[in-house]
Amino acid sequence: MKNDLLWVEKYRPKKIADVIGNEEAKASFAEWLKSKRRIKKAVLLYGPPGVGKTALVNAASNEFDFRVIEMNASDTRTEKAINKVAGPATSFVALDKFSTESQGNLLFLDEVDGVAGKEDRGGIGAIIKIVEESRVPVIMAANDPELEKLRPLKKVCLLIRFQQVRIPLIIAMLRRICAKEHIEAEFEALERIAQNSRGDVRSAINDLQSLAGEKRVLTLQDTMVLRSRNKDISMYETLKGFFSAKSLAEAATLLSYSSVDYDDLLLSVSDNLPRRYLDPVELATAYDFVSQADVFRGKIGTENWHLLRYFYNCLAESFKPFEFIFPPIRIITLFWTKSKRVTLEGICAKIAARCHVSRETAKHSFVPFVKIFLERQESNPISSWFKLEPEEVDYLIKMNRY
Amino acid sequence: MALDEEALMWVEKYRPKNLGEIVDLRDIVESLKAFMRNPKTMPHLLLAGIPGTGKTTVALCIARELFGQNWKTFTLELNASDERGIDTVRDRIKDFSRYSRAAFGNVPFALVILDESDQMTGPAQTALRRIMETSARTCRFILICNQSGKIIEPIQSRCAIFRFSKLDKKAMTEHLLCIAKKEKVILSVEAADRIVEYSEGDLRHAINALQTASVYREGVVDEKTVLQVIGEASPKQVQLMINKALNGDFIEARKMMYDLIGTYGFSGSEIVRQMQRELLKLSYLSAEEKAELTNVIGEYDFRLTQGANSDIQLSALLAQFAKVGKSKGESN
Repeated sequence: MKNDLLWVEKYRPKKIADVIGNEEAKASFAEWLKSKRRIKKAVLLYGPPGVGKTALVNAASNEFDFRVIEMNASDTRTEKAINKVAGPATSFVALDKFSTESQGNLLFLDEVDGVAGKEDRGGIGAIIKIVEESRVPVIMAANDPELEKLRPLKKVCLLIRFQQVRIPLIIAMLRRICAKEHIEAEFEALERIAQNSRGDVRSAINDLQSLAGEKRVLTLQDTMVLRSRNKDISMYETLKGFFSAKSLAEAATLLSYSSVDYDDLLLSVSDNLPRRYLDPVELATAYDFVSQADVFRGKIGTENWHLLRYFYNCLAESFKPFEFIFPPIRIITLFWTKSKRVTLEGICAKIAARCHVSRETAKHSFVPFVKIFLERQESNPISSWFKLEPEEVDYLIKMNRY
Repeated sequence: MALDEEALMWVEKYRPKNLGEIVDLRDIVESLKAFMRNPKTMPHLLLAGIPGTGKTTVALCIARELFGQNWKTFTLELNASDERGIDTVRDRIKDFSRYSRAAFGNVPFALVILDESDQMTGPAQTALRRIMETSARTCRFILICNQSGKIIEPIQSRCAIFRFSKLDKKAMTEHLLCIAKKEKVILSVEAADRIVEYSEGDLRHAINALQTASVYREGVVDEKTVLQVIGEASPKQVQLMINKALNGDFIEARKMMYDLIGTYGFSGSEIVRQMQRELLKLSYLSAEEKAELTNVIGEYDFRLTQGANSDIQLSALLAQFAKVGKSKGESN
């Protein structure tokens, strides 16, 4: 099936010349990479998503025979992790140079603005140290160079700015892909895709792939389903489109349009899995994907939404169309049970204060016993010792056992 | 709490007040007593071990031995799993170390007891390490945790580590009999043994079970009552949930899981802990199957700490159970 490979991967540029647009940035980057004595050892490429930052690094290293050691947002970038990967990579420059044709290593830290202050503690500091000590070129890419936490990086790097790619260039690129995929496309159709992408080449290619689908001919009419990139799509629509997506590309595109809350999305997906996968083995496999996606989500935190494209790739693979339910069960359950939970939490807090334990421990090690006391003797003095209110006592007595 | 107010939960009433009263921890107590003789030499402490083995009790005893009657003034007791974030912890410790700087007698520091510190995330622990450094002159920390492996190395290296193992069954039985005697409850040795067996080395659980049993029949606790209490107080929902999952009824199992989270507000890690406990009790699984599922539980316990949504991880875990259940059904 031709949908097996995302075209953004398939048509990834092999040479610097293949990267479209941003001529100035390309030139200064190539010059920096080729020069023998670099004034600044590191470079920070910054600009909006999908304009070719990562593509340029890969194309250039391919052209100049560098071996790319890459770390991106899917790796935890704590100080320790960075040093582990980057330390060796940045010091053994000479060996490689003599033994092979290769120019040696090149360290590429993609999406450095994703080095969250929270999980990746010490990450930025470690990067700066690596830059200072490195004997190989260090390249970083980021979307938003104004981020406060990146400021220290800006001092040690050569900054290269990327802009949105011009529409005619994108159209030309889409045409080349169409030719290779044997698709006859109307110019207006490609123009619409390109304009809609707002200079984001990656999303334009994704759109093209999902619109083309199995078709041989692409008309302007086909592109009418394209949604404006800055228009919100509701959760319901997202899920509907997601679950009826016929390919990975289509699902990925849809998700890149949507601005739904990702936790809700994940939860809904989780809710719907057993409806889609009736066989326990398939279900377990699908859940494993979602679980990993969630782990990934946990690592990214909430700061940088676009990083979730990694998660899309991982998630979308486990998906095929089926009837879905919405809203998430968990959200409904939590809504209906909130008052109960709050009461129980209050009781646990009182027990915790008395018995030097956490509320959690109070819940599992004390509540079952206290409940039995009170069931047996409602006027048990224990309730006043815990300073429980009458309604709390009542709650404990009537509560179901866990 | 007024000083003369008598504690009504026996776990509190019979919580040892000084190190000498502590049950079955001779080695630990001896080393700690050495610190008490010259408090200046006391380092930060890390007390690690399974629940109900006396870690918090030891910490509170140290506070009492150091500061006597006024121990509460000089001791800040925090529970990491209750405090919302490291910022709260930091602020409270900061304030505390600022205001209780005044040395007490020959004790040149105030005490911070941080319970369940392994519940803190890595970054929070890194922040804690800073706090420990900056307040080192005015504060000593006693960190309490279940697994010392979950405490980052820089903190471990700053502490004297004491490991608490499961309490000796005989010592526990004796302790229960002793409490029963003071409470004028007739407790048969068989009943005491039953409680000890059920509580798996967790003395807090054992004492709670004993006290609960004592309200069933005025003043007498026999084996039958104990069994009844154990039956009523053990986590049935979790058992049922595991059974459903292993029988392939994933949707029903997941519903129960949502209920545990929703209605009772259990945390993901607590549910996983109880699943592990209940799993080992299932008689219809072979040792190999239990080992396999234990592995699975371990993996998802880890993912829980990494992930964003505990119910997704728990659902995925239940799906794994259903898978194992299916292959078991086929091989039979």
